[in-house]
Amino acid sequence: MKLLRSLTFRLALYYAGLFSLSMLLLGALYYAVVIRAPLETVRRGLVVEAERFTELHSRLGPEALAAELERRAAQPADRLAYHVLIDPSGATVTANLPSWPRSPGDEWIRVEADIAQEGDEDEHEALVSDRTFPDGTRLLVGRDIDDLDEIQETVTDTLVWLLPAVVLLSLGGGALMSRAVGRRIEGVAAAARGVIAGDLSERVALRGSGDDFDRLGDTLNLMLDRIEQAMESVRRVSDSVAHELRTPLTRLRASLAELERTGDREAIAEAVQEAERLETIFNAVLRIARIEAAGKLRSTERVDLSALLADAAELYQPEAEDRNQVLAVDVEPDLVVEGDRDLLFQAVANLLDNAVKFSPEGGRVRIFGRRDRTNIVVVIEDTGPGVAAELRDRITERFFRTAEAEEVSGAGLGLALVAAVSRFHDAPIRFTSGDPGLRVEWEFPGEPG
Amino acid sequence: MHILLIEDDPRVAAFVAKSLREEGHVVDHRPDGQSGLTQANAERYDAIVLDRMLPQLDGLGVLEALRGTGDQTPVLILSALGDTEERVRGLRAGSDDYLAKPFSVAELLARVEALGRRQTGGEMAKCITAGNVTIDLAARVVRVRGTRIEVTDREFRILEYLARNEGRVVTRAMLLEHVWDYNFDPQTNIIDQHVSRLRQKLDRAGAASLIETVRGAGYSIGRSAA
Repeated sequence: MKLLRSLTFRLALYYAGLFSLSMLLLGALYYAVVIRAPLETVRRGLVVEAERFTELHSRLGPEALAAELERRAAQPADRLAYHVLIDPSGATVTANLPSWPRSPGDEWIRVEADIAQEGDEDEHEALVSDRTFPDGTRLLVGRDIDDLDEIQETVTDTLVWLLPAVVLLSLGGGALMSRAVGRRIEGVAAAARGVIAGDLSERVALRGSGDDFDRLGDTLNLMLDRIEQAMESVRRVSDSVAHELRTPLTRLRASLAELERTGDREAIAEAVQEAERLETIFNAVLRIARIEAAGKLRSTERVDLSALLADAAELYQPEAEDRNQVLAVDVEPDLVVEGDRDLLFQAVANLLDNAVKFSPEGGRVRIFGRRDRTNIVVVIEDTGPGVAAELRDRITERFFRTAEAEEVSGAGLGLALVAAVSRFHDAPIRFTSGDPGLRVEWEFPGEPG
Repeated sequence: MHILLIEDDPRVAAFVAKSLREEGHVVDHRPDGQSGLTQANAERYDAIVLDRMLPQLDGLGVLEALRGTGDQTPVLILSALGDTEERVRGLRAGSDDYLAKPFSVAELLARVEALGRRQTGGEMAKCITAGNVTIDLAARVVRVRGTRIEVTDREFRILEYLARNEGRVVTRAMLLEHVWDYNFDPQTNIIDQHVSRLRQKLDRAGAASLIETVRGAGYSIGRSAA
């Protein structure tokens, strides 16, 4: 049954059960304290009285006992006194009980004792001790317990009504609650099904009440936003990759077709060149994807950043000299960071490659490295055309190339890789104006301690 | 050289085997890890070219089994997994070199030859002579016809590496790995510029055409003479 599988409904059932059980326990406790204990007191009193009457009977005879019984009945008391005295022949000597069992049975009996008071007939209940003396005389003495009887009846009646009512209410409430909760869960499930069906814009509807389900829905929606963004960026990248690969592929085909037609050796060189270009783009995209898939740096290799910057600068020195540029290095010694040495070198090389490439003949590229309080800051400045402020956020996108970049070689992946390496190392990188040129500021968390 | 090629892709295998044979090597081919390992144990080879991803027993498994028996045959791993971590894993498992797919024939040939050299190597010579150039390893000095020429530390190391591999081709990637000691992908012809500076210095001192350019592959010292 669907309802039985609902967690909320099952919870309501458990609560109904628990509640009924506690009511029964309460009833039992009430019975013990309010009914059972006073009843026991009455019984013990009757035992004492019956013993006294037995002794009186054996000492002074039946007449004295009858007189004593009648005197007792006439005395005012909290509980009315009842008695019946029957002689051995079966004749009633004295009695104030309207009826009693004809023959003696159990020692303790409960008898109805209806008495007329001021014209009204009152139903009463009495607890009676029934004993027969050795000479055959039968004595019944009792006390009124009508109050206790009434309470017992009331409690029993109440319980008889209340228990089923509680169970019914719990079941009904449980079903209602389970429907209400079910509707909210269904809302979340519907959104999830929408996403499964391919609609990533599907969101969990919120009530605005800020309750648990709203908070859950809000969290799920944030997650969906993030996934949608990621998917969008993947789509953009694959679009760009397809687009960027199409041109060299087309040229490759053209060269091969030309080769097939004419056997021209130049076409071979062209084809190889295009294949290499394809490979370069492919490798760069793949490398960025791998760095991003790796998430965050895990190994704790210590990298001497000072030496790494010097090596990178030395690598680009001939290129800068060929362009009559000054490549100036101003790096403090012993700057050590935790990181991936090869990736960091690749990133710095990409930045220097850009700096040298975009700076004009006779320009200048400067590399700084210094400790800034606990952090380590690397700055690379060039004297190129720089990047307009509104485009600076975009230069790290894959395949993004500024108008100036169209004139120089490159696929627009260099800075995308730098950005990936920066994220990988949790080392934020900023592109600002070098006035003139571009200024790159890369900040590494210093070593703890 | 006697080379064992363990590669499952028939086209790559045929192409690699053909290229190696054209260079005068003798090549045995096995298409999976298990038969490759059996073959490696059955015969002595000068070098093994091992694909990283193989059916049944993968490349690293073959390598570990091989090294486990104390076999020190030089191994070059070919892999579609090109990132640093994979490379380090391969080298740790006991491979001598690691080449990411796609690769050029020239790169593969150069690296296989370097493997063969490594095995016979172990030269602790103080000086290497190539043509009329003497490289004094202890003093880190280069002399052409006995006259000392000024080179930077990097240029010295380029020359040393080329000279140690005399008669063989050294690719740009090999120079990057051994002279710069970084595993990265230069965007431009940055290595060429370093070699060209070194060459100019040698030329001026009278050791012209010591370093040859091997088209589509890299550089070499004394290859045409060999």
